[in-house]
Amino acid sequence: MGDLKHTVLYDNHVKAGATLVDFGGWEMPIQYPHGIVDEHLHTRIKAGIFDVSHMARFIITGKEATAFLQYVLTNNVFALDLLQAQYTMIPNKNGGAIDDAYLYRFYEDRYLLVVNAANADKDWQHLNNEIKAFDAQITDQSAELAMISLQGPEAKNILKKLTGSEFLTEPLKNALGILNYHGAPLLIARTGYTGEPLGFELFAKAEQSPEIWEKLLGLGAMAVGLGARDTLRLEAGLPLYGHELGLDSEGQEIPIFSCPLAKFAVSFAEDKGNYLGRAPLREQYCGFKSIMERDFSDLSKLPRIVRSLAITGKGVARAGCKVFKDGREVGVITSATMVPYLKAEGYGLDSKITDEKAMRGIGLALLDGDVEINDPVEVEIRNKRVAAVIVPYHLKSDAPPYARPILYGVEVTRQFESAANYPGKALNLLKKSLDNTHHRQYETINLIPSEQAHSPAVRLLSVMDPSFRYAEHKKTKSFYDYDVFYYQGTAFIDEIEYLLMEEFKQYFNCAEVETRVISGQMANTAVFSALMDYKNRVNRKVEAKRLGYILNNHIIRGGHLSAQPMGALHDYIAVDPRTEKTAVVNFPVEPDNLFKIDVEETKKVIATYRPELIIFGKSMVLHKEPVQEIRQFIDDQKLNAVIMYDMAHVLGLVGDHFQDPFKEGAELVTGSTHKTFFGTQRGVIAGNYDKDDYKYGLWETIETRAFPGSVSNHHLGTMLGLLMAAYEMNYFKDDYQRTVIENAKYFAKALAEAGLDVAGDPQISYTETHQVVVKVGYGIGPEVARRLEESNIIINYQATPEEEGFTASGAIRIGVAEMTRFGFTKAAFKETAELMADVILRKKAVAEDVKKLRSQFTTMKYCFDDEAIMEQLEKLKATL
Amino acid sequence: MRIVEGLKYSKDHEWVKVEGNRATIGITDYAQHSLGDIVFVELPEVGDHIDKDQTFGVVESVKAASDIYLPVAGTVEKINEALNDEPELINTDAFENWLICVEMDDPTEVDDLMDATEYEAFCQE
Repeated sequence: MGDLKHTVLYDNHVKAGATLVDFGGWEMPIQYPHGIVDEHLHTRIKAGIFDVSHMARFIITGKEATAFLQYVLTNNVFALDLLQAQYTMIPNKNGGAIDDAYLYRFYEDRYLLVVNAANADKDWQHLNNEIKAFDAQITDQSAELAMISLQGPEAKNILKKLTGSEFLTEPLKNALGILNYHGAPLLIARTGYTGEPLGFELFAKAEQSPEIWEKLLGLGAMAVGLGARDTLRLEAGLPLYGHELGLDSEGQEIPIFSCPLAKFAVSFAEDKGNYLGRAPLREQYCGFKSIMERDFSDLSKLPRIVRSLAITGKGVARAGCKVFKDGREVGVITSATMVPYLKAEGYGLDSKITDEKAMRGIGLALLDGDVEINDPVEVEIRNKRVAAVIVPYHLKSDAPPYARPILYGVEVTRQFESAANYPGKALNLLKKSLDNTHHRQYETINLIPSEQAHSPAVRLLSVMDPSFRYAEHKKTKSFYDYDVFYYQGTAFIDEIEYLLMEEFKQYFNCAEVETRVISGQMANTAVFSALMDYKNRVNRKVEAKRLGYILNNHIIRGGHLSAQPMGALHDYIAVDPRTEKTAVVNFPVEPDNLFKIDVEETKKVIATYRPELIIFGKSMVLHKEPVQEIRQFIDDQKLNAVIMYDMAHVLGLVGDHFQDPFKEGAELVTGSTHKTFFGTQRGVIAGNYDKDDYKYGLWETIETRAFPGSVSNHHLGTMLGLLMAAYEMNYFKDDYQRTVIENAKYFAKALAEAGLDVAGDPQISYTETHQVVVKVGYGIGPEVARRLEESNIIINYQATPEEEGFTASGAIRIGVAEMTRFGFTKAAFKETAELMADVILRKKAVAEDVKKLRSQFTTMKYCFDDEAIMEQLEKLKATL
Repeated sequence: MRIVEGLKYSKDHEWVKVEGNRATIGITDYAQHSLGDIVFVELPEVGDHIDKDQTFGVVESVKAASDIYLPVAGTVEKINEALNDEPELINTDAFENWLICVEMDDPTEVDDLMDATEYEAFCQE
């Protein structure tokens, strides 16, 4: 293999005993002595490293670098923020792929484009040819910059150990970071070609890379050759140029939209302008859309697309095998083989990956557009037809840190007793409910910060007579906004609702309150809907414009789900046509305290994006929100943003001990009424617009988006209960709020003293709210939460701002509100902290100790319990 | 790489164990090693007659499919059924895990094959 090129890691491969082959002119390892199966599996359960230095790395700079890239690539370069990467195609003018590539933006004005080794010369010539028309430069840095891919669930730990850096990148796919390795920059990207939810590609100085490679091996990664690289990418359904892209088996060009990743890699943004292949790609897109919408009447715009298929019969399919459906040839396998996986036991979060190996036959195939998922097909292997089926995917990565194989035909089932013994079922239900209530009220220590037990009066009122009635009502302009009810028998609840609004106005110290929304999420939806409606009030003859930009807390930094595009914002948030991303920006956080908003950086973001809505508030909340500072800035800059504070978690802390949102300048407050507030489970919207305020129309719109916009029946029983809770809060709040925050700080310190890793700033005793966050170790949050539950301590696992998602949670979130209400003393919190440390650190089972502790605190405080009240409760109970 | 004394070897890396008119055939350790992880084996039916140097089956690894050739003409007497479910047995011991037994047409054809020493030299070429 005399003329073959070698990467800078060649000696490492030889030393490791790799089997070397010619790959696109490079002498590369196809496998190491462990073999493809073990290399594949080690990557899936620990980590694999891949020498990908044979790929080419081009740097693009210059005044028109962006314009050049917009012209020669299919993706939208305007969507590429600093420290992000994107998958893209290098199209030809026919809408075929010259190559597929990854574009990285480590620096503001320098783009890094990584292309396939086998296409590098072709790409280089093409790009150099096209760049002549632009004021931009392209250089080849493949030799100076080596490239190592590190993939798998252990990748993050290994990279932290290699670099000594605690923070690598944002915990999101395609995020980039610049670390330091012995004085030289080590560029890292959360990208890869394995489908692993955790994976990095490292761009290292060529001289340093052999040492880095050996260190990665020493830290537990396994060297992986091209063989397993191929099985890993096949299992992940990722395309390989020459198979799913480029020319097909008959030498015909495969349209880019035949490749399932095209929808992420091709942009038709107006701002992107014209580019190579745009018009034919647009045609292909129309064909793709028809196929996805199951309109198969005209497949000429895009005849075939790549789909995943699982071999269910005996045999190994390979690229080139023909595929048949109902005896008719419908396409051809583009990649296939048998790939290994490890069997799993159990369901959901509790499922365990065993060390039992198994193999399965899978493939990708270029198939006629009308071949659909679940269609049975046959694959011709050595003149024999072998059964197969079209599947949606072979692997899922949405439960980090592991990628999980998805096997055809596996179904999760639950037991359902279908016998018709309804009296028996009814009795059983009552018994089980009694057991459950007894357990949660007398035997468990309840520390979920979004939960709160309700007083006997609140609980009882919630099931009293209006709980099954209707009381729709609406302000009517003809009657000077006097409320008109649609039903009779509503006088009682009319008064209750009026009193409830007045109590809340007093509590928030604000002008307006809407109490008909029955959840915090609904409160937000009603506000977003109203903001959008109000924005479009001048012209209703055109389609309403959505909201944008919005500034909120990112969900990974504790932001509420109900303030995210995937949550309540979903139907109200605009897409920025320039970036084709939702028009949301996030509060920057302090570099050394990711739980706290960075006010100065936030001002810069506001100045750049000029958001029309700013949403404070979080569900993982340790600090006050800087409402006052941002209000001041908005007013100084004469910006017209609405400031809203979603106080769901801290609604029961409004006041002197925590925050006074309206005094600090919020216009709207939303929240759920059952976290730190005393119940019932409902929502509330508060506003501070006077009737003569020009924005009062917005408030009126909020009312109409509550009713009839969100509810018809607004659940009158819990509304009655909520009035009692509001009485309790307004009467006891000073003592309650002070005690909750004191207890949280005390508990946080006790947990730290017990040896646990408490998140946050020790200078302020870790928290300013009812919450405490404890780090228990990457990915083991769910397991720790389960163990605590087995010991009767109920908390929830929580992903910290460094983690990829709830399944990778390395922390638990704790709230002290409920146990404070049951009169937990400092000594009781201290004992709880020690019991938790026993469970978390020493894996002890402490259920009996917990029961004993809890049994001393079963009477609710901060509620009315004098004799007259108790007597009246008995009378109410007797009506049931 | 392991080579077993007393067996005959073909240039296609099959081994042949001769007992009278009967030959047991498998692939060598060298072959299993170069194929890598074996995931599928396709064997003929009992009673099939196969000519010398004709393919009698396929051994597939993750990487590729490889035809296997019969070094001596004969009629299939037995096949190793265990390989249907556990093809990876060949990786664990290629000499223990045979593929097929044949009744040879002409036992003298064995004389054309290599012995262990010759095969070792052949592999090192």
